[in-house]
Amino acid sequence: MSEQKIVDYEFKPGFKGMAHDTGSDQTMFKGVHWGKAMMWIFLLSDTFVFSCFLISYMKGRASTPIEWPNPSEVFALEAFGVPVPLLLIALMTFVLITSSGTMALAVKYGYEKNRKMCGWLVLATAVGGLIFVGMQAYEWSKLIHEGVRPWENPFGAPQFGSFFFMITGFHGTHVSIGVIFLFIYAYKVFAGHYENGGKRGWFTTMRGDYVEIEILGLYWHFVDLVWVFIFAFFYLW
Amino acid sequence: MDETKKKEEQGSTHKIGIYLWIWGLLFVLSFFSYLVDWYQFQGLLRWSLILFFMFLKAGLIMAFFMHLFWERYALVNVLLWPMTAIVCFVVLMVAEGKYTLFTRLFYFFVGGGQ
Amino acid sequence: MSDEIENKTGYQAQSSETMNEYSGAAVGDIDYVRPAELPEQDLYHGHTFLTKWVFCQDAKVIGVQYFLTAVFTGVVGLILSWLMRLQLGFPGLAGFMTAEHYYQFVTMHGMIMVVYFLTALFLGGFGNYLIPLMVGARDMVFPYVNMLSFWMFFVAVAVLMASFFVPGGPTGSGWTLYPPQAILEGTPGSGAGILLMLISLSLFVIGFTMGGLNYMITILQARTRGMTLMRMPLTVWGIFTATVLAMLAFPALLVSSIMMTLDKVLGTSFFMPTILKAGEVLEYGGGSPILFQHLFWFFGHPEVYIVALPAFGIVSDLISVHARKNIFGYRMMVWAIVGIGALSFFVWAHHMYVSGMNPWFGFFFATTTLIIAVPTAMKVYNWILTLWRGNIRINVVMLWCLGFIVTFVNGGITGIFLGNVSVDVPLSDTYFVVAHFHMVMGIAPLMVIMGAVYHWFPLVAGRMLNEGLGKWHFWITFLGAYSIYFPMHYLGFIGVPRRYFEMYDSPYMTSAIGMNEFISLAAFIVGAAQFILIYNIIKTLKTGKPAGKNPWKANSLEWHTSTVPPEHGNFGERLPVVHRWPYDYSVPGAKEDFMPQTTPPSEVLNTEVEKT
Repeated sequence: MSEQKIVDYEFKPGFKGMAHDTGSDQTMFKGVHWGKAMMWIFLLSDTFVFSCFLISYMKGRASTPIEWPNPSEVFALEAFGVPVPLLLIALMTFVLITSSGTMALAVKYGYEKNRKMCGWLVLATAVGGLIFVGMQAYEWSKLIHEGVRPWENPFGAPQFGSFFFMITGFHGTHVSIGVIFLFIYAYKVFAGHYENGGKRGWFTTMRGDYVEIEILGLYWHFVDLVWVFIFAFFYLW
Repeated sequence: MDETKKKEEQGSTHKIGIYLWIWGLLFVLSFFSYLVDWYQFQGLLRWSLILFFMFLKAGLIMAFFMHLFWERYALVNVLLWPMTAIVCFVVLMVAEGKYTLFTRLFYFFVGGGQ
Repeated sequence: MSDEIENKTGYQAQSSETMNEYSGAAVGDIDYVRPAELPEQDLYHGHTFLTKWVFCQDAKVIGVQYFLTAVFTGVVGLILSWLMRLQLGFPGLAGFMTAEHYYQFVTMHGMIMVVYFLTALFLGGFGNYLIPLMVGARDMVFPYVNMLSFWMFFVAVAVLMASFFVPGGPTGSGWTLYPPQAILEGTPGSGAGILLMLISLSLFVIGFTMGGLNYMITILQARTRGMTLMRMPLTVWGIFTATVLAMLAFPALLVSSIMMTLDKVLGTSFFMPTILKAGEVLEYGGGSPILFQHLFWFFGHPEVYIVALPAFGIVSDLISVHARKNIFGYRMMVWAIVGIGALSFFVWAHHMYVSGMNPWFGFFFATTTLIIAVPTAMKVYNWILTLWRGNIRINVVMLWCLGFIVTFVNGGITGIFLGNVSVDVPLSDTYFVVAHFHMVMGIAPLMVIMGAVYHWFPLVAGRMLNEGLGKWHFWITFLGAYSIYFPMHYLGFIGVPRRYFEMYDSPYMTSAIGMNEFISLAAFIVGAAQFILIYNIIKTLKTGKPAGKNPWKANSLEWHTSTVPPEHGNFGERLPVVHRWPYDYSVPGAKEDFMPQTTPPSEVLNTEVEKT
């Protein structure tokens, strides 16, 4: 599907091109695979989900008369006997960005039909995601150990714990789902499901294509993107 | 015209260098935003720096890792315009949060109820 | 499933060259249409009963499944409204009716009608059936996900219905589910009831997201050759815009559901302020109830247009077909739909004028609310101008359309009252509001649904519904609905509050007692009249007049399928090629008074067709 040539159509640049594409027949996003368009629209919808979470957090934090805990101290970690602020969070960010990079390369090699490289990079991404989830589990258990609960915490406003567990939990769920799919797709790449016209999928019975790796990549980068916002608003603000 | 044609012919494969560049930039930017906390900047400087690095990182991820830079404007615009609703929601909730805080302080602590 | 895989590619992929030969035209020819960008869709054809009718991947079957499930919940909602009216008109007549029951019925009636009936019917039912047919696609782009979408909706309905049978019954906090009362003891159904409601809503959102992605991508990326966005029937535009709204608004509902579930289950205080109950401070504290209201209405207002926009679109098509005239100002109509959709995200807090939000918001939201009346009024003018000097056929479909226009204008005008802060404050929480929103988003879209059922039933079932029964159905419903909701405006003006279980001997109510009884009687009759339609459908399925192909002489693609009713794959061997918009009715110089979208320009050389 992605290899179909678009015949007899003039691609214009910029906003002119946008008007031209929008006014044309058959497709509005020229040359964009259905699944990819779907993933984009889904991510747009998911953006609204996370925006609503973060807006709620903002409203909750802005309107509480009780002092909000200082994240820099709450999330500090002892390293060599010295408390380093946000050490774990910095490591988590590092891991997630690393996995985002490997994913971007996996997409690139997928399009070059380089099965081996693509598969290994997807696998590396999955491992990165797994490490991230593990670190988040460690972070949660540490905070719970310190007495932070969804309904109360020893540092200040009770909403701190509520929003923390909810938002990072929702993001962590996204990461976990992503990890599961990354492992599945790593298998699919290695097993050659995207070679020779593509093998039919188990559930949907549709033919596989390397574009699926890009679609998966979009999701994974989005998870990283959300983390950028959570990092800024929750840990740094 | 020629440039767009080239873009179309290239399809979705790009030189590996661009990915490595962006990758590196993301690490550097994350390091900078971490430094904002390390040096304990406060007030407006802190907030503007946090937002600046955040949007830069988000922009790089969307533009290059998610290939939005190479997508046609039809898709880009469809994705970005709905954000105005979010911006409106954010702005109004900032005002609302402040107002709620005001009413709480006024009625519960100052005692405006009397 | 595996043995069916070989058979599943019913339609062989054709290369673009062969497609070009089919149209028999070359570049420069006036009939030339660009070749297909995409190969033919790979479809899964079910063979067993299970894959053909239950877990079916054909959008048309899924549409009918959605329709039937939504109608079932709608009937439940209707029965609940009967019980409510029984209590309001004749307090104490139904012995089992306590205040708790009344609130539970109000809540369930509201939620069922808005979300599980109207939204599911318009987007799930009509959307699934009509989108692929109208844009000239074989099916939805992700048939498997589409099937999952329906079953997710089905589970959501099942969970919702289950809440009737849990201890404490369904939630009785009003359809807006405002915390803190929704999850505090003392509100009916504050235990399992509200939890099941929140779970059901979350499932609905997930299911809808799967369906909505299908509708959007099918419309944007799977149109047939020649079908530009500006050649789509307004039905598709309405459903499309409503889907976009739903994709962006349902997240707020999902988030507020999740947060309230956490408040209920884990004891967090997102929405729960410090509460004194019988002298004791509850565990909750520091939360913001108004945040829920903002989130809810950030979903809730677009939801109004999720229901209204498909109705706008469908009624435009019905009026155009049955007045044998092109829709007046097609582009204006499209932009009005899109404009209303975009604006609907900036008006939400006009539901909250009396909530204690930031007082400055009233100014902002009253302004945006009045602005949204402009594109809406444009649409009404255009419907009327479409009728003007048209060759109107007063059949059942047209009656419902005319009923819609009148009702919608009525409900819209009261909306302008309520959009202004100073007028809203005394009127809010009275029956005036009840009358307003039932007129504008209850009765008006329902009229369109009825019209659409009479219009498209011949396509779905291949038989014409009985006109005589249809006219009875219409007149009883139309006059009855006015008998119900017109007096309610008056009740609102004299200050009768909504949501009250019984007015007892309130002195100002004495003038309203007779009116309340009258409203209730009318409600019973209107509700019963809906069963005329069900009877009509059952009777028609057995003995109805065969419709044949294109009984209404309509232009849009769904009437030009290879078989009636259309089979899986919709268009047989070859997909249609579109040359014009679907509104070329009564074209001067043309042989017939309609011109299907597939008519090439060379066949209509000496006519004055619109350039689209």
